[in-house]
Amino acid sequence: MSAPAQAPATRRRSRSRTWIGWSFILPNFLGFAALTLIPVIASLALSFLDWDSYSTPRWVGLDNFERMIHNDNFWTALRNTAYYAVGHVPLTLAAALGFAVLLNQKLKGVRFFRTALFFPYITSLVAVAVVWNMLLSPDLGPVNQFLRAIGIDNPPGWTTSTTWAMPAVIVASVWRDLGYYMILYLAGLQTIPAELYEAAEVDGATGWQRFRYITLPGLRPTTFFVLIMLTISSFKVFDLIQVMTEGGPGRATLVLSQVIYREGIVQGRFGYSSAVSMVLFVIVLTITIVQFRLQKRNET
Amino acid sequence: MRRHLVTTLAGAAALALLTACGGSSPEPAADGPQTIKIALWNYATTPEFKAIIDGFQAANPEIKVEPVDILADDYAEKVTTMLAGGDTTDVLTMKNVIDYSRFGTRGQLLPLTDEAAKLDPAKYSGLKAYDLEGKYFALPYRQDFWVLYYNKTMLKEAGVPESKLQNLTWADYAALAKSLTKGDGANKQYGAYQHTWRSIVQATSAAQTGGNLLGGDYNFMKDQYAMTLGLQQSGVLLPWATASSQKVSYNTMFSTSKAALLPMGTWYAATLLADTKSGKTKVEWGVAPLPQLKADGKVTTFGSPTAFAVNKKSKHSEAAKKFVEWASSEAGATAVAKAGVTPSLQSQQILDTYFALPGVPNGDVAKKAFKPDNVVLEMPVSDKSSDVDQILTEQHELIMTGQKSLDDGLAEMSKRVKNEVG
Repeated sequence: MSAPAQAPATRRRSRSRTWIGWSFILPNFLGFAALTLIPVIASLALSFLDWDSYSTPRWVGLDNFERMIHNDNFWTALRNTAYYAVGHVPLTLAAALGFAVLLNQKLKGVRFFRTALFFPYITSLVAVAVVWNMLLSPDLGPVNQFLRAIGIDNPPGWTTSTTWAMPAVIVASVWRDLGYYMILYLAGLQTIPAELYEAAEVDGATGWQRFRYITLPGLRPTTFFVLIMLTISSFKVFDLIQVMTEGGPGRATLVLSQVIYREGIVQGRFGYSSAVSMVLFVIVLTITIVQFRLQKRNET
Repeated sequence: MRRHLVTTLAGAAALALLTACGGSSPEPAADGPQTIKIALWNYATTPEFKAIIDGFQAANPEIKVEPVDILADDYAEKVTTMLAGGDTTDVLTMKNVIDYSRFGTRGQLLPLTDEAAKLDPAKYSGLKAYDLEGKYFALPYRQDFWVLYYNKTMLKEAGVPESKLQNLTWADYAALAKSLTKGDGANKQYGAYQHTWRSIVQATSAAQTGGNLLGGDYNFMKDQYAMTLGLQQSGVLLPWATASSQKVSYNTMFSTSKAALLPMGTWYAATLLADTKSGKTKVEWGVAPLPQLKADGKVTTFGSPTAFAVNKKSKHSEAAKKFVEWASSEAGATAVAKAGVTPSLQSQQILDTYFALPGVPNGDVAKKAFKPDNVVLEMPVSDKSSDVDQILTEQHELIMTGQKSLDDGLAEMSKRVKNEVG
């Protein structure tokens, strides 16, 4: 750098490197921009407009947000979404971690069980929802038949009961998602050095102590990642609920993404629908930022 | 050299993206034989579309008709998206009146007011539904309405004469259904099957009591709900909760003789005709008028028409108009009736054509069923219809699953419609 004669050449080389770097991410970026970035920005703009996808959009300022605040459907959906997240995130996390630790041992047939647990994740969601509906059917479903057989006279109505519909949906979604997060945890477990366990064993640590003081801290980065992915996916939940209950009975399982879908795609009120999706975006963003902060504090 | 390559690549990629997003190329001018495209659903299983297209092409050999087949469940959303993207598909089928009013008020359809004025509203059942403040943007070719299907064999076994079904009140229907229920467990035969749709209770009571489904006061539904809930409680109907969670199909319930009586739309007759012909079902079926509040011999039922409209962006609007007019004409109606579907144009001649089809139930009961005195529109058209529809559906679920008592459910229905939509 000190010799002035070399400077332009270096600069040229670094510029050409930047170009090459850009060209490598360009195909991906173009797809991302066309299919995600531009629509997201457009939806931000749309949330201040009144637009039915055909006529000229009309500027309405904060009207869409005002309508949302006074709309009972929005608050019901927000509560239900939070309920779903509070149930789905910890249960999936615990189940995924539990099965990962269990299936990390050298047992016979461990591959089979790993595959079996991962299977729901790659199965067609519609089929999953229909099968769960049948299992949980109030009169003829095997779940309630079993409950009756063990002496519970009045088993819950599951997807046909306002009280039990959300727990039913949560159980189905935990079952569906746990395989994927279990794989993430299994990968995380491979990164914990075996020497630590050996040393702990030599020191006479119990199984629980090894799990509590070696496995859990060792998995912290994985847990952080899983937590974020789970939170985002719980707030975005749509397909499973749409097929299993369609938000019913009544509005017992109506979630935010369904409100967005109904208002936008079905009713053609794209402005209002975008406003709701902006609120959902802000909620998820806030939670993610808080999680990042907490994680940072834990690290230091 | 390398840098040059990169820029070229980037440019090419950008260009490809641009051309991919760019609009379609202009179509050639409309000379000689024209081709019009028509948006419709489930072409293979909806026989009247082919019947209309074939009939129209035979009458107008200079125009070729090309169907654009769309999945029935996605039809409304797909057409909305197509129109928003400036699609030029010439003829659009209006699957229901609420969607029609949306397209019409947005100005996406070509006005057909003059063409509609040529039709006699007394003969065209459902024509009035397309009146948008004095303007028409579609002409109906088909009108479905609700009737009562019955299983002849099960009636005979119970010793009930079919003529009894000619003048049924809802109280008679309930008693009859109770007497036809027998068996237990897997062999149970239900007296009746009422599908999970809200219309079966709500639109029936609106049509027969004169209640307004958009009105915000829903006490007029009380009797119809009380009867339905009573039948459900006494095991005459398959419980709503089971039907909903198992996604039970009404066709299975009726065509496998699991239920003796089935209130359902006239479209089901076409399915039964086709399935009987192909041997898919062996059920002996008949059609009776929908049960009434009072046994005064008059039949009031509900239903909804289906229509064709012309896309405002159509490049062959004259040919498209010709098609729409032909479909609702006498010739079109005959083609529709021959396909086993009830056309909008209702004359004795058309009815005779329908009854002459092999397999169509004949006799006085069926003839009365297919000639109702009054067909009330299933859901009134307004910009509030779809919002109200959502609330009515949600409350229907709560009442039918017993999550809300009938009184609470109806009170909440009224309250929600007034607060959230009114």
